[in-house]
Amino acid sequence: MRDWTCPFCPLLCDDITTIVHDDGSLDAPDVDCPRLTHALTWFSGLSANQPSVDGQDTDLESALRRAAEILKSTSRPLFGGLATDVAGVRALYPLAAGCGAILDHLHGDAMAASTAALQDRGAFFTTLSEVRARADLLIVFDCQPSARYPRFYERVLGGTDHARDLIFVGCEVDPAADIVENTSTHSILKDADPYDILAIWSALTEGRAEASIRDDTGMANALATLAERVSAARYTAVVYEPAALPGPHAALLIEALNRIVKVVNRTTRAGALALGGDDGALSVNQAVTWLSGFPLRTRVSIPTHLAHEPPLDHDPMRYRTAPLLAAREIDALLWVASFQPEPLPQGLADNVPAIVLGHPAMKRMLGARGGSTVFIPVATPGVDSGGHLFRIDGSVVAPLTATRVTELPTVAVIAARLSDLSDARSQP
Amino acid sequence: MSLTRLRGGTLYDPANGVNGGRRDLYMRDGRLVDAEPGAAIDQDFDATGMIVMAGGIDLHSHIGGGKTNLSRLLLPEDHRGSGAGNSFGAGEESADGRYLRLPSCGVCTPGTLATGYRYAEMGYTAAFEPAMMPSNARHTHLEMGDTPIIDHGAYVMLGNDELFLQLLAERDSFERLRDYVGWTMHASKALGVKVVNPGGISAFKFNQRSLNVDEQHVHYGITPRDVLHALSRALTELRVPHPLHVHASNLGVPGNIDSTIATMDAADGLPIHLTHIQFHSYGVEGPRKFSSGARTIADAVNARPNVSIDVGQIIFGQTVTASGDTMMQFKNAPLGTPKKWIVGDIECDAGCGIVPFRYREQSYVNALQWIIGLEIFLLIDDPWRVSMTTDHPNGGPFTSYPHLIRLLMDKGFRDEQLAKLNPEAQVASALPELKREFSLYDIAIITRAGPARLLGLKDRGHLGAGAAADIAVYRDEADKERMFTSPAYVFKDGQLVARDGTLVATPTGGIHYVSPDFDHGIERTLRAYSAKNLVGNPVHAAISDDEICACCRGGSLLPVACLTAGT
Repeated sequence: MRDWTCPFCPLLCDDITTIVHDDGSLDAPDVDCPRLTHALTWFSGLSANQPSVDGQDTDLESALRRAAEILKSTSRPLFGGLATDVAGVRALYPLAAGCGAILDHLHGDAMAASTAALQDRGAFFTTLSEVRARADLLIVFDCQPSARYPRFYERVLGGTDHARDLIFVGCEVDPAADIVENTSTHSILKDADPYDILAIWSALTEGRAEASIRDDTGMANALATLAERVSAARYTAVVYEPAALPGPHAALLIEALNRIVKVVNRTTRAGALALGGDDGALSVNQAVTWLSGFPLRTRVSIPTHLAHEPPLDHDPMRYRTAPLLAAREIDALLWVASFQPEPLPQGLADNVPAIVLGHPAMKRMLGARGGSTVFIPVATPGVDSGGHLFRIDGSVVAPLTATRVTELPTVAVIAARLSDLSDARSQP
Repeated sequence: MSLTRLRGGTLYDPANGVNGGRRDLYMRDGRLVDAEPGAAIDQDFDATGMIVMAGGIDLHSHIGGGKTNLSRLLLPEDHRGSGAGNSFGAGEESADGRYLRLPSCGVCTPGTLATGYRYAEMGYTAAFEPAMMPSNARHTHLEMGDTPIIDHGAYVMLGNDELFLQLLAERDSFERLRDYVGWTMHASKALGVKVVNPGGISAFKFNQRSLNVDEQHVHYGITPRDVLHALSRALTELRVPHPLHVHASNLGVPGNIDSTIATMDAADGLPIHLTHIQFHSYGVEGPRKFSSGARTIADAVNARPNVSIDVGQIIFGQTVTASGDTMMQFKNAPLGTPKKWIVGDIECDAGCGIVPFRYREQSYVNALQWIIGLEIFLLIDDPWRVSMTTDHPNGGPFTSYPHLIRLLMDKGFRDEQLAKLNPEAQVASALPELKREFSLYDIAIITRAGPARLLGLKDRGHLGAGAAADIAVYRDEADKERMFTSPAYVFKDGQLVARDGTLVATPTGGIHYVSPDFDHGIERTLRAYSAKNLVGNPVHAAISDDEICACCRGGSLLPVACLTAGT
C-alpha cells in the first residue's frame, strides 16, 4: 500500500509504503523509523480478538453488558488513556456525559502545561510547512526532537536546499539533524538551567543591554549573540517539546518561549513550534474542546447523573489521572489504548473496576485484578480502520485508511453500544 | 411520508413576494408542498396570529475550524461564566427518554453543540463558516459536523497562499489560476471562496506590516487589486454562485473607506461581497481623527449593483476576535482585553490571529463602531444586498441577533440605546436623523431570503413549494427582541426541532458545497509545488464524498448547482 499515513506518532508521515502479509502483519521496509518499527511489532499477525471479563474469554455482547453494568453503578468514573482518534472521542463524549465521567489523556500532563500557558497568555505559533518553506533559523530549545519523532528533520527540512542554521539551546546537538543538507548546527548553553536561559533571553529580546545583566557564567553573552542572530534571520522557528521540559512548572517555560517569540515579531518574523500530542492527545483535546467548550481534564455530566453538580467542570489540577487514582477519588476506570498496548495506570487500586478498550495484545498484560476487569479489543485507526488524527502542529487533520481487514470494532462503535446499554432509561 | 400542516400563520416570504399574507403551509418528506385537497393531515400546528418565515441563514459566522477552537482554548473564563453550570432546559428529552442536549458551554465561542442548539432555538437553520483554510478544511468540517441541527458550509480561503501568489506573479496563464481555484474548492468541499486582506497575510510572513490596495507585496510584487481581480474573474468563469467573499485591506484602520471602495472597484463590475464592512467604514474626521464613513460606503454600495455586503455589527460586551488577518490582528493585539492573544502562520496557506475584545459603551471608538454598523444597515437602499451579521464572534456573538433585529425595527429603542453611549460619539452620529425602521419583510430579506440568494441556495430561504421545510414561527410581539429570541416552532427539513426555546429533536445538519468544473491537469502543478514547500503528501489533499460524510456525521450532502450560462 502506497502513501500510507502512519498513526503511531503525531508527525503522521504520509509517504510510507507498507506491505501487508497474509497473516495480517505489516512491514514498512523503505522507512527508517525506529518508532514505526517498534509499533509494527504489535501488529505481527492477526491477534485473537476475543473480549474477556475477569480474565475469562467471552463474547462481545457479554463483555458489553458487564461494562455497561459497571458504568451504570459508578458515580465518579475516569475515562483515561484516551489513545483514540476523532471518531473515538466523538462517541466517547456522550457516553462520558451519560455517566458523569472525568476526561484525561495518557499525555495529560504535557497537554495541560501547553493549555495552561495558552490560557494565561496565548501563543505565537507556526506549522511544519511554514518552517520548511520559510525558516532560515531553527532554535531547538532543551529537547532532542528525533528521540520521540525520528523523522522530524527528514520530513520537515529534507529535500530542500535552503541554507539554514540549527541552534540547540540548553541541550546537545541532536545527532539526527546531520541528515539535513546545507544546514549548520551548533549548541549553546547545553548544561544551563532552562529557566535562567529564558529569563535572560527574554530580557535581552526586550531590549536590556547585555552589560546590565549580572552574570558570570557567560550566559548573557551567548544569549545576546543568539538574539542578534534572531534579529538578522528572515524567519526563526523556535522548536520545543512540552513533554521534554522539566516539570512541574513546564507551563512557565512554554509561556516564556511564546513571549520571546511575540516580542521578536515586533521587528522581524518568527513562530514557535511545539512538538507533542502523541497517541491522539491533540485530537482528543481538540474534539473535547469543540464539543464542550473546555479542553481535557473536564468532568462532563448530564443532569440526572450528578444532580447538584454542573454539567461541565474544567479543573486541570483536580482532574489529573495519577492524583485521582492515588486519592481513590474514582470508582471506575474506562481505559482506551487503541494504537498500541498501554498498561493500566500505576496507582489504580486493584478493587476499582476497569473497562479496557485496547489493542488486542493488552489482554495478556492485564493479569489478575481484584476488581472487575472487562477487556474489549479494538481496531487501531490507520491499521484496522480509517479515521482522523491531528498532526503535531495542530492545524492539519490527516485522514487515516485501514491497511488490513479485521473484525475488530472501533472505539467509536463500542462507545456507541455502551451509550445505548448504559442509559438506564432505555432499559425495558 | 406523513403530511404536516402549519395552519393560519402570517407569512413573510420575500423570495416569493409574500408580504404578510395569511396562508397554510404543508410539509411532506422534509419539503414544502402544495395543498393536497382531501389528503389526511398527520400533524397539525396552529400558527394563527403568528409570524412565519423561512429558517434563518447566517452567511458569515465563525462556527468551526482552527481559530474558533483556539478561541475556546484561550478563554475558559468565557465558558465558566455561562452555560457550564446550567445549560439544560427542562424536559428536553427525546421520545426514548434521552437527554437531547449534551453538555456544551460558552458565550462568545460556544462549543459546537451549544452553537447548533442556540441557532436552532432562535429559528436559524443554517450558518456558514467564512474562513476555512485549505490545510485546515478537515478540521473545519469535523467541527461543523458536530454542530447539530443546522445546515452548514464554508468558504475556502485563497489569495494569501503561496502557490496562488506565485501563479499570479508569474502572470503566465489565467486558466491555470482559475483551475487552481476550482481544484481548491473541490478538494476542500467549499461553497465559496474568501480572501482575507488580499495578499496581506502572506506579506506579513515576509515582514511587511501594511498593504494597501495598490501597494506591492514585498516578495511577489503583486497588489491586492491583482488578487481581487483574478479571484473574482476565476469565480465568475467557474460559475460559482456566491461572489468572491472579501475581508478587505486595512481592517480597523481610520480612513480605510478609500481602500474599501477601491476593493469594490477591483472586481471590475463582477460580483463581489464585502464582509463585515462596518470594520472597513472608518473616516478620519473630527478631533479624534476617527469618524463614521457609513454614508460614503453606503453611497458606494448603492451606486454599484455588483456589490453585496454583510455588516459585522458590534455588540457591547466581551467577545473574541478571530481572523485570518494576522497582519492586522498582530497590530491590534495591544488593544485587546484581557491581555492574551494568539497569532499563527499556517501551512503556506494563511494564518490566524485571535484577540479578545471588550466593546464598551463609554469608549468613543467602540460607540462609533456600533453607530457605523447601524448607519450602514439604514443607509443602504437595497436590502437584498445586505446580510445581517455580527461577524460572530468578532463583532459580538450570534446570540445577539434578536437584539440587533430590535435595533433595526424600533427607532425608539435605537434612540434609547444611543443615549447610553459615549457623548462625543453620539454627536458624531447621523443615527438620530435616520428614521427608517425595518419591516418584518425587510428582516426576512436580510436574515434568510437575501443570504440564500447570495449563496445560490435555490431551495432555502423561502416558503414556496419545493423548498426545504426549514421554517421559523414567531409569536407576534411588540418587543421584537423577545419575539426573535425563542420562536414558537422551528422546523428543520419538516421536523419540529424547537418549541418556545425548548429543543424537541436534534437531527444532524447537512453540508452545502459546490463542485465547479476545472481541468485536473492543475494537479501536476500542485504536486511540484507541494514537494518543494509542503510537508503533507498531496495525494491526501482532497476530501472525498465518503470522507465528508464521515466528517459531517452522515449529514446530508447538499450540492449547490453552479450557475448556467447567461445567469
